[in-house]
Amino acid sequence: MATAIRTEAGPAREHADRTASTTCGYCGVGCRLETTAVDGRIVSIRPALDGPANEGHTCLKGRFAHGFTRSPDRLRTPLIRTDGELRPASWEEALEVIVAELGRIKGEHGSDAIAGLASSRATNEDCYAMARMIRAAVGTNNIDNCSRVCHSPTSFAMRKAFGLSGATGSFTDIDHAEVAVLMGVNPTQGHPVVGARIKQAALRGCKLVTIDPRRIELADYGAIHLAPRPGTNAAVVLGLCHVVRREGLVDADFIAARTEGYEALEELLEGYDPAAVEEISGVPAGRLEAAARLYGEAASASLLWGLGVTEHKYGSEVVQLLCDLALMTGKVGKPGSALLPLRGQNNVQGSSDMGALPDTYPAYRSVEDPETADLFEAAWGAPLSRHKGLTIPQMFDAAVAGELKAMYIFGEDVAQTDPDTAHVAAALENLEFLVCQEIFENETTKFADVVLPASAFLEKEGTFINAERRFQVVEPAIDPPGEARTDFEIIGEVSRRLGHDFGWETPWDALDEVARLTPHYAGVSRERLGRHGLQWPVRPDGSDSPTLYDAVFDRPGGRGHFAALPYKAPGDAADQEFPLVLVTGRILQHYNAGTMTRRTGNAELVDRDLLEVHPLDAERLWISDGDKVSVRSRVGRIEVEAKVTDRIEPGHVFTTFHFPETRTNLLIGQSADVNTSCPEYKVVAVDVRPIGEQAAFTPVVPDLD
Amino acid sequence: MTKVTVDGVAVEVAPGATLLDAAKAAERWVPTVCFDERQAPFGACRVCLVGVSGAPKPLPACTTLCRDGMEIETEEPRARRVARAVVELVLSELPEPPAPRTELAQVAERLEVGEPRWGGATHAGEDDFRHPYLAFRHQLCISCGRCVRACDEVQGAFALTATGRGFEANVAAGLDAGFEDSTCVSCGACADTCPTDAITEMGLVRQSGRD
Repeated sequence: MATAIRTEAGPAREHADRTASTTCGYCGVGCRLETTAVDGRIVSIRPALDGPANEGHTCLKGRFAHGFTRSPDRLRTPLIRTDGELRPASWEEALEVIVAELGRIKGEHGSDAIAGLASSRATNEDCYAMARMIRAAVGTNNIDNCSRVCHSPTSFAMRKAFGLSGATGSFTDIDHAEVAVLMGVNPTQGHPVVGARIKQAALRGCKLVTIDPRRIELADYGAIHLAPRPGTNAAVVLGLCHVVRREGLVDADFIAARTEGYEALEELLEGYDPAAVEEISGVPAGRLEAAARLYGEAASASLLWGLGVTEHKYGSEVVQLLCDLALMTGKVGKPGSALLPLRGQNNVQGSSDMGALPDTYPAYRSVEDPETADLFEAAWGAPLSRHKGLTIPQMFDAAVAGELKAMYIFGEDVAQTDPDTAHVAAALENLEFLVCQEIFENETTKFADVVLPASAFLEKEGTFINAERRFQVVEPAIDPPGEARTDFEIIGEVSRRLGHDFGWETPWDALDEVARLTPHYAGVSRERLGRHGLQWPVRPDGSDSPTLYDAVFDRPGGRGHFAALPYKAPGDAADQEFPLVLVTGRILQHYNAGTMTRRTGNAELVDRDLLEVHPLDAERLWISDGDKVSVRSRVGRIEVEAKVTDRIEPGHVFTTFHFPETRTNLLIGQSADVNTSCPEYKVVAVDVRPIGEQAAFTPVVPDLD
Repeated sequence: MTKVTVDGVAVEVAPGATLLDAAKAAERWVPTVCFDERQAPFGACRVCLVGVSGAPKPLPACTTLCRDGMEIETEEPRARRVARAVVELVLSELPEPPAPRTELAQVAERLEVGEPRWGGATHAGEDDFRHPYLAFRHQLCISCGRCVRACDEVQGAFALTATGRGFEANVAAGLDAGFEDSTCVSCGACADTCPTDAITEMGLVRQSGRD
């Protein structure tokens, strides 16, 4: 059985001086890397000069943060919980427990009592395999992936407005843009290679408009910086649209020929003059007008956004409004005029494209569409559920309610990264059976019944899809350590034992199957991807699509759709008890849960989470730089070190969630995007105060009796 | 398009292309030391000299633009003599030969420049291994400027700067207090472009210690 788990290490699996060309597994930029390994350890990683997204550059994560792959605490054997402790076990034992428990739960409670999470860190083939296992072997659509908690609103909105779930252009559009508008994204920290590209473009004369409650580094290189109150993005975008329309900067021909629904938007825009927007967002009217003019008057202008737009109660609506702004000015589908959502994780695009979602098969075809379900039923030879499954937050709710009994989580530390940690912990605690497939023990594996040792991106084969919709080849630089196996191998074996054999030998067989069953990826193959990848849609002849919508939108009728959506208040707001608004995010040196970067030299550069506080707030609250402070929200409390900086506006504070000891997500509540349930990580009312120090000298009060 | 010949091979290049671009199009090798395709041409090292028909002397291929009808000779004797002499002089200033995998060592090998004939002073300087990933080995700096330009033109961190004059010329991060106390973002573009290991990766330093 080619897909069977090898239970012993094969002979001489490590090679001296092994080189590989692969794709970075950190952020969604998709840098191509050249790796060199000696005796099974990576010695050096260099950027590929011909990498389409990175053009010979990388950041410190891609280039240097690989030491975690041989960290002493890597999971090297399966673990099974016995008497409350996770103990090493053989693959055979671990797989037997999984099959027995999932079988029992399916028998007692039905398939819908089981759910799986695929990983946006893993390959397309891993995610496709996971989705196929949950759908065909388990028999439920309870499959989701961590794009739920980052860019699901972008996917939803871009499908509504334009038709397809992905950037309309490529990173090279940044080089050709006269103006670039960056909203809720901090590329020099989160997407450093694109950040460097934007900075170089700015130095050459591209005018940047940065919109963020924090004064991000690129604001220093930009023309205008707008700092709206967290949660008021919709008002700002509506204001930009208002001014563009008022000043006659719309492309009337484009609107007439290529779009529908503009009238409703026009009517709505009446209410969003710059004065009204200033009232809501705090952005000075004059600056809003200047920004709108810059964008509207430019011959080419691109829009870029990140989680500062999406992780809100109305995040998906703000993305729809950004699409409106591009549609009304005709700035879409042209060189230099692209909409580029900067996807957070290396394969957040691909994990969703592959259908690791509760409502869609690959390429966003609905599970409720009988034709699609029939297609996959025939291809997989198994009966498939016709109703939508649970999203990640719904899974936790169902687990707390006792309806969901088992989860199979692969490559996501939900107990550290998902909102409302206490709720997540209660959900995991309440499960009858939890499998984690991981590279390290983490907060989530503390609840696991079985832990399977899996692979890091440097040990895998397959493909990722970057933020430009580009399929790129992933090649193993080293082998998994000890008895750890690739995720692809593990999922294939679990599925086979659950009674559904994929019949694949390698990830390339899975990719071929995806291409065969998905018209948008029809022309994708290992050979065609080569060193430069292909941007979907890829036609059967192998030609790809660097730019979308140059002639027609991918919607019925071919027209772009305007959404008329008013501003609505965010899910949380500062008040008497919680007077500051917390925004969370990440920094250059660390990556999300820090599972990888904390185990590298990056931890020597930055070793803790910090709470950014404006000097005025710091003074008022008696907080000095470096003080330990208490941060309390409506749902939780943490302690963290303060950093006093004027990068943040008064009234706001910012922190990261890279270190498990901080437990930042204890503070985040249940508020989520209305359309996609993406959590509102970006607006949390908090109370911040110094933690009382022990006084150095306490005078003794004399006893007067 | 501009039509030129390189060692007799006819190629067409886009307007604004350099002699070096034309040589690449014709698949002819031209030695370079201060050139990196990720950066604007610098024209400092004079190793990329080539002969051009009608020109009174060899021309730097990296900064000279093609004109219609140019006949380029990559191995023009005087150009090659100068290139070899430059590489030999650069090598003679280093206290130890550059590691075989470095670009300078590879150019020297291909130009058949052996042990430098000139003794005398070599660069002094200390290893700086304070950063977790990036190492300075100042004694290997040949002042080609590639690291400074990578930092400026590729990353945009502006952390590196040329220091000293003449034989003392070198490179420093920020106010010469090391990478961590500068605006460095640890991207490693400097180490990636350095042709001698004057800036290199700690991983490679440790590996060579193991070899």
